[in-house]
Parts: sequence; structure tokens; C-alpha cells
Amino acid sequence: MIQLKNVSKKFSNNGQKPVQALKETNLVINQGEFVAIVGPSGSGKSSMMNILGMLDRPTSGEYYFENREINTLSEDELASIRNKKIGFVFQKFHLLPKTTALENVELPLLYSDRKNIRGLALDALKQVGLEERATHRANELSGGQQQRVAIARALVNEPEIIFADEPTGNLDSASGQEIMKIFQELNEAGKTIVLITHDLTIAAYAKRTIQIHDGIVNEN
Amino acid sequence: MNKKETLKSSLRILKRNKMRTFFMVLGIIIGVASLSITFTIGRGFQKQITERAKKYLGSSDILVTAVKIKLEGKSVDNNLVSSLTIDDLKAIASEIPLVSTYAPVQFLPNCEIIAGNKNISTSVRGSSATGQIVWNRGVIKGDYFDDAEELNATRVALIGTKIAETLFGESDPIGAQIRIGDVPFTVKGVLEPKGIDPHGNDMDFDIVVPITTMMKRLMNVDYIAMAKIVISDENRMDEAVSGITAVLNERHHITNGESDFLILTPTFVKEKIKEMTKVFNVFLPLISLIALLAAGIVIVVLMLMSVNERISEIGLRKAVGARSKDVVSQFLIEVSITSLLGGIIGITIGLICFKVFCSIIKISFFIPWQIYVFGVLLPILVGIIAGIIPARKAAKYNPIEALR
Ligand SMILES: Nc1ncnc2c1ncn2[C@@H]1O[C@H](COP(=O)(O)OP(=O)(O)OP(=O)(O)O)[C@@H](O)[C@H]1O
Ligand SMILES: [Mg+2]
Repeated sequence: MIQLKNVSKKFSNNGQKPVQALKETNLVINQGEFVAIVGPSGSGKSSMMNILGMLDRPTSGEYYFENREINTLSEDELASIRNKKIGFVFQKFHLLPKTTALENVELPLLYSDRKNIRGLALDALKQVGLEERATHRANELSGGQQQRVAIARALVNEPEIIFADEPTGNLDSASGQEIMKIFQELNEAGKTIVLITHDLTIAAYAKRTIQIHDGIVNEN
Repeated sequence: MNKKETLKSSLRILKRNKMRTFFMVLGIIIGVASLSITFTIGRGFQKQITERAKKYLGSSDILVTAVKIKLEGKSVDNNLVSSLTIDDLKAIASEIPLVSTYAPVQFLPNCEIIAGNKNISTSVRGSSATGQIVWNRGVIKGDYFDDAEELNATRVALIGTKIAETLFGESDPIGAQIRIGDVPFTVKGVLEPKGIDPHGNDMDFDIVVPITTMMKRLMNVDYIAMAKIVISDENRMDEAVSGITAVLNERHHITNGESDFLILTPTFVKEKIKEMTKVFNVFLPLISLIALLAAGIVIVVLMLMSVNERISEIGLRKAVGARSKDVVSQFLIEVSITSLLGGIIGITIGLICFKVFCSIIKISFFIPWQIYVFGVLLPILVGIIAGIIPARKAAKYNPIEALR
């Protein structure tokens, strides 16, 4: 499903010396996998996820998503793939604050041609067990609940793959475990999940672990 | 992009950022309200003057005034000249078949009108028996003077309703004796009430006597001040005007363009009115446009602030599938809704003020079509022009930077 061939990412901030965040990375992720990418802070985990999630393009190398090389695709085509095939969960949740849980979940559907937006969003909230909070505003929810709303938002357009960058980083361990159980259930239901974390107990939920150090990938 | 849902979500966003929305709407309201107030008031004045002028000069009427004119009618001496005569009018009527009737005018300002122990000061006008048709004003009591009375320079007078009221109160003025200055007259009729003329004079204080009486007994002159000529076909106005000009030029021996009469037609008056109301129709609305421009600047500033506040929202929208043009159109939809709202409130305020103004200057309320341009198209245009820069800026954000 996903294949990276010699992918590198270099950040060259004006004036400062360039940072090589990913070095000649090769990686294959198949449909239905639950992969954890682990590594210390600054090792290149987020850079990797941004490239895998098509939020950023590699400096060099090739990235095949469902056998299409994404470098040949325009920004609008990438936006459309992100909308239809990819779901994101971020460490900081990134919900629209004064907006209800339901409306937050609806957001990806605004950019799709799906009908019955409200119904689909409610179903997604049901999947994360938050249908009772549908009309609560995001800022009225606990951290764990907010992250569940974010997961519902990632799920709502039925993506092939979900990328989660430190999804438990801002949560206490109890709500972190709850979130991880949701990911586990989703994976059991067939979704491909890529989880980024520096916490090995969280990584233990995944079936496969990839280590990353100074931009270099190591699989054990 | 799902249009209905996007619109709904824009409305929610505007509702949730009440302060920002309020100031954007307020800016547009001020601009549009001042624009529509100044513009409609101009239109109101124009309508008022035009309505008054119509009473005075119908579409088949021509006014000939005896004034000195230099340089092809460009500059007008205010001094009346003494060269226009009743014989000129007779010549015009006999030489131009298009002329159906006419009435000469001569007046005397500030005359003392005395009846018993009451008196009033007003101007007296001399007219002919045709005056009631030509000026479209008959009598509501008594009779108009006739050709014989005109021929004999009889001392009869027609008085306006307000003069009748002032001098005679409730009692019947017909047949009563009055004096105009030292000359005694008999009241023959009471003129139909007419209200205010284009110069702002109350026509119900008019007093009309036969033109001959006026010339011989009150003024001792052999010329008239002006005449109104009525033609039988209003579509042949130009032909009539050039005919009258030719007759008068010949009779007054005018060759070098330094004429001694001025011909006023309804078209000419319309142009004059437009010129007079230009300050309202052009200059004041132009100044109000500055208010709208200021509103545009307010929108730019507030939207740039809004874009900065919403960087992470923009990043998120892009991450979940918004294309750059979706982000641009979202911001433009937001600004269009605000501007339209401001525009509609603005013209509503403008029209309410105009309605009050109409009742003050006593004209019937109307809505000039330009109001819809000012209230709907212009604000949306201002909003979109002002919004495009912030919207483009928003669309340029890279989602990963925006989400950090
Ligand atoms: N936009 C950028 N400009 C310049 N350097 C960057 C940029 N993004 C990341 N980097 C650098 O690339 C390296 C990898 O960063 P990255 O965010 O991928 O690390 P990470 O593994 O996600 O770390 P953390 O666990 O702290 O989130 C770091 O040295 C970082 O400073
Ligand atoms: Mg990171």
C-alpha cells in the first residue's frame, strides 16, 4: 500500500545549516498493518509522518501510495487523496474550539461529495463512544474526549489509513490506554494504522515497530 | 466542496466570532447608510424641484423671458430688459401654426394690498384671459376675467386663497373692494390653490390682474417680462423653439448673438435641475464612497487578524482535504455574507431616513434603483476586493507549519 524508496528530507532554513531529518529511507507498509514508529525527540518521526500523510513532499526519493508516485501529483490531487484515503490524529487534537463535536467530525466531509454528512458524523462519533457529546463544544470536553472526537474525524470519510502522531502525548495514562484500545479495535476491523510515539508501552499496542534515529530507520 | 454545508459552516463561524463580525458589518453599514442617505436625499430634492417645475412648465410649454443674453446664451444678465411686447407674442402666434395659445406675464413685487383695515404685501402678476388655460389655474370662487376686461384694462383682481383668508377671513371676498397700492380693484375670483412654486414662493399668495391693467394702471409700461407659449405637439418642441427664436430675432433686429430674450423649455429646466442637485447626486455620494473604502480597509485588517488567529484551523482544513481554492472561497464566502448583511442593514437605515425626509419635504416616498446597487452589489464587491488578499494569504499556509 505504501512504499518509500530512498526517501530523504532536508530542511534548509535560511542562514542556518541544513537539517537532514530523513536519510535514504526505505519502508513498506501493507494494508491492515498496525505499525508504530518510535524514536527519541528530534529523530525525524513527525517528518516521516508528514511525508507519509502527503502533508509534505520528500526532498529526494520516491513515495508510492497505492502504486502511484506522489511526486507526480498536484497539490489539489494530494488534497483529494488526504480527504478520501487518509485520516490524521494529532498530539494537540487540533479541534475547532468554539465548534461542536459533531461539526468537528463533519469537517472532512465538507470537502468531499458525500451526502448525509450529519448521519455519517454521528456514526463516527458512535464508533468512539461519544454520541452523547455530539452537541458539546470541543473546548467543553476532556482531553481524552477531545482526542476521541479527533479520531472520529479521522474515521468519518472511511480512509484506508490513519496516521496518529503522538495521539496520547497530551493525555494521562488511563485516557491514553482508552485511545489505544480504539486504535486496536479499528485495526482489528481492517484499518491500516501508523502510530508515532516515543513511549514504548504505547508502541506495544502495535503489531510491528519501526525504530528511527537521526533520520535513519531500523526495523527489528 | 459541499456548498450548502460550507455556507452553513461559514455562518456558524461568523456567529461564533461576534466581535469581529460586528465590526466588519458595522463598517459596511456606515458606508452604505451614508451613501444611500446622501444619494436618496439628492434624488428627493430633485423630485421635489421637478414636481414643482412641472406645475410651472408642462411638457408642451415654452417660457420666453426678456433678459439680456451674451455669447450664444452662455452668460445671462439678471437684468430684465424692456423689449418684449404683446405684439411680439401676436406675431409668434400668427407666424407659427404650432403655437396653440399663450399668455403674457408682467409683475410688480412688494405691492401693498389693502382691504378695509387689513393689508398684506405681495407681488402682483398681470396675465391674460388665456392665463387660466396656459397656467392651468382657474378660480375656485367667482369668475376669471374675460377678453373684454383685458381689452378695457378693467380694474379686477383674482386673489390667492391665502390672501382671501388674510384679508377677508371667513367672509366672501367676491365683489369686495381692495387697493393695490393706490389703485382700487374689485375682487372677481379666488385662484385655485397651488402651493409652492419652483422658486419656493407660495403661489397661494398670488394676485392676478389683466395684463393691460397691470401695464397701464399699475406700472405704466408697454412691455412684458415674459410669456408662456403652449404648443400643440410636444414632440415638435425644437421646431417651435427655433421658430420663436427666428421671429423674435427678426423683430428685435438681433444679428450678433447678443440676444435679449431667453427661451426655457422643459428639457432645459430638467438639465438645470440636474446641475443644481449635482452636489447631492455626485459629490456627496462620492464622499460617502470614502466611508465605504474605509470599511474595506477595516475588512482587510480584521480578516488578516482572523487569518492569523486561524492558522491552525486553516492547516487542519488543508490536512483533511481542503484545496487552496476551498480555503479562498471559504474566506470570501464569510466576507460576502458580512458585507451583504451590512449592505442590507445600511440601505434599510438609508431608506428609513429617506422616508422621513420625504415626509418632511412633502414628496411621495420612492426607492431609486441605484439603492440596490449600493446595498447589495457594492458591499459584496468591496468585501471581495478587500477579502481577496487575506484569503489568498490564508490559502498559502503550508499545513504542517500551520499545525505545529
Ligand atoms: N520545518 C522545519 N524546518 C527546519 N527544521 C525542521 C523542520 N521540521 C523539523 N525539523 C528538524 O528535523 C528534525 C526532525 O524533526 P521531527 O519533528 O521530525 O522530529 P520528531 O521525531 O517528530 O521529534 P518529537 O518527538 O520532538 O516530535 C529535527 O532536528 C527538527 O529540528
Ligand atoms: Mg514529532
